Amino acid sequence: MTKHAGIQRRTILGAAAAAASLTSIGIRRAQAAEVVKIGLPVAVTGPLGGIGAQMKRACEFCAKQVNAKGGLLGKQIELVSEDTAGNPATTVRKAQEMVERDGVRLITCIVASNEALAVVPKLAEWNAIFVSGDNGDGRLTGESLVPNFFRPNTSGPMGTRAVALWVRGSKLTKFYGLGMDYAWGHNSMDVFQDECRKAGKEFLGAVFSPTGTKDFSTYITKIRQSGADACFLVLSGDDNNAFLAQAKQYRLGDKVQLLTELVDEMSLLATGDAAEGLIGGSRYTPTYNIPENNAYVAAWEAEYKRKPQMFEGDQYQSCVVLQAGIEKAGSFDTDKIRAALEGLKLTSVKGPLEMRACDHQGEQQGFVVKVGKLPGASQVTPNVIETYPANKITPACKQMTYAD
Amino acid sequence: MDFIGFLVTQCLNAFSQAALLFFLGVGLTLIFGIMRIVNFAHGTFYMLGGFLGFTAVRLTGSFWAGLVIGPLVAGAIGTAFEMGLLRRLYRRDESAFLMVTFGLTLVLGEIIRLTWGVDALQVPMPSAFDGIVFLFDEPFPTYRLFLAGAGVVMALIIWQFLERTRLGLLIRATSQNAEMVHALGVDVNLVRSGIFGIGCGLAALGGVMAAPLITASLAMAPNAIIDAFVIVIIGGMGSFAGSLLAAVLVAFVQVFGNYYFPDFALAAMYLLMLLVLVIRPGGLLGKEA
Repeated sequence: MTKHAGIQRRTILGAAAAAASLTSIGIRRAQAAEVVKIGLPVAVTGPLGGIGAQMKRACEFCAKQVNAKGGLLGKQIELVSEDTAGNPATTVRKAQEMVERDGVRLITCIVASNEALAVVPKLAEWNAIFVSGDNGDGRLTGESLVPNFFRPNTSGPMGTRAVALWVRGSKLTKFYGLGMDYAWGHNSMDVFQDECRKAGKEFLGAVFSPTGTKDFSTYITKIRQSGADACFLVLSGDDNNAFLAQAKQYRLGDKVQLLTELVDEMSLLATGDAAEGLIGGSRYTPTYNIPENNAYVAAWEAEYKRKPQMFEGDQYQSCVVLQAGIEKAGSFDTDKIRAALEGLKLTSVKGPLEMRACDHQGEQQGFVVKVGKLPGASQVTPNVIETYPANKITPACKQMTYAD
Repeated sequence: MDFIGFLVTQCLNAFSQAALLFFLGVGLTLIFGIMRIVNFAHGTFYMLGGFLGFTAVRLTGSFWAGLVIGPLVAGAIGTAFEMGLLRRLYRRDESAFLMVTFGLTLVLGEIIRLTWGVDALQVPMPSAFDGIVFLFDEPFPTYRLFLAGAGVVMALIIWQFLERTRLGLLIRATSQNAEMVHALGVDVNLVRSGIFGIGCGLAALGGVMAAPLITASLAMAPNAIIDAFVIVIIGGMGSFAGSLLAAVLVAFVQVFGNYYFPDFALAAMYLLMLLVLVIRPGGLLGKEA
């Protein structure tokens, strides 16, 4: 009797365990079915880590918003993020892992253009869509364009164009350039030089500093000696911080108007008043006053107790475009998402946007800002001094330069 | 600005950079000289200095407080690390030190990231040196003059410390024959702990001083460790005077190389190192070939 009961108990326990494990598998399957994974191969360490952190934060914020409203086509968004340290080879490897290990078919949040350029040739093989959040290199929607790449953000040439249009109307006549010695720096400098020529202004020359340059004293000397009355800067991250801090220490701004493709508030926080007087393009500014942006800024402030920064706004727009594309497609099928994104129109935090079909570039407005202290403010901020419409800012299809 | 003016300002620039490179290299070379350890975490202590400087300035309002607190805290961490971990490894071969100090780089780097965040932080210049002087009618930051001066003063202090003090004598003796020093009744372990702490403190001192130029950021460590190794290799492993000479050479090559051959800015320092390695494999003032 005792023996019998023992067997029974064991059988029951075994059955219960089997049932439990089956149920847990069932639950796991059900969860897997309700999740869509988005891959973020993002540099959160290295010289571009600060920008990467902004972009990642914007993705997390957007995913949280979408998930709170029931998710994407009923599926909860799960972000799969890996640090690339800004190294293109690492980025390709991490993205490949996401595709093979996690089944990721949607990628965004890659920080550097050379990382993006390394990833795009693999997209067809991976059957994945890559929506750029900040990649500036003109070639991504030009000679290096692939069908599965989309760029809702302002490109490098577009940022430079806004500044160039401002330059045309200014009294400045002689220009010099300082850029980072990699794809983005050279590309943007070429565009600016071309713009100077068309505006009938003199471009005296440019110098390029290696990524990670710490001492800018010689570059500052070169700028000073060039005799230019303005210097166009294509710098980002820690290099930009170091240059602005040192330029201020040499009082370079007293003699030369500093212009930049992008005014990044993160630099302003790191360098304080050093950036005062700097004029440049802005991909996104929280002070842009339209209902869509005001709602975004309010929600962001509720979450993070501060206003969103430039790359947070630009990456957020890209996330919204990806979301709208998937909802329009009504499917997670790569071909259907691609078709839906082509020609997609919406109003985002930066105003009206159209993802044109011919080269997958988002047509949008351009902003020019000047860094200064608003009355009563203790910190310097980028303040809009000019807005240009999309048709003046976006280049012709697959082009990096402008006809006029 | 005429050529003489150009030359003078660029030389001053080079000396200010040489000072920063010297603080970085001398600690590494002292540690290597005494302990035969390649301290991979040296760049991370430099970065720690930058962030500690930020916090000290934020809390006390004084850059000088940062200049004291940064090296002291970094030195204390370095000493504790030597006493807690490195000391147990002296019987092992040298690769063990490389692994352990590399591990320290990762742990300390992550602690810094979690403590201060990923954004670059502004460290203001000391108010006494945030102005400019006019040299040949061109503005020159007084902070750079201060850096160059601080480099000279520190080099003199370290030199006098090594040559004139009892601890300096013990350090030189230990670097030549540790066993004999031990046999004479000196606690060699204490000398090693001390020198590891001093080396880390010097790196942090460099970090605090560099911060107003480059801001305190997470990129400081990887950039600095390469510079530090180059200085030590050019100057000669374990040579104090060698690290001084190498810091000045590298700074001049960088400043004038950047000016005349900007396309080779990155290569200039390594070409110099290559040249030295070919002519004198043990470094300019190194003893071992």
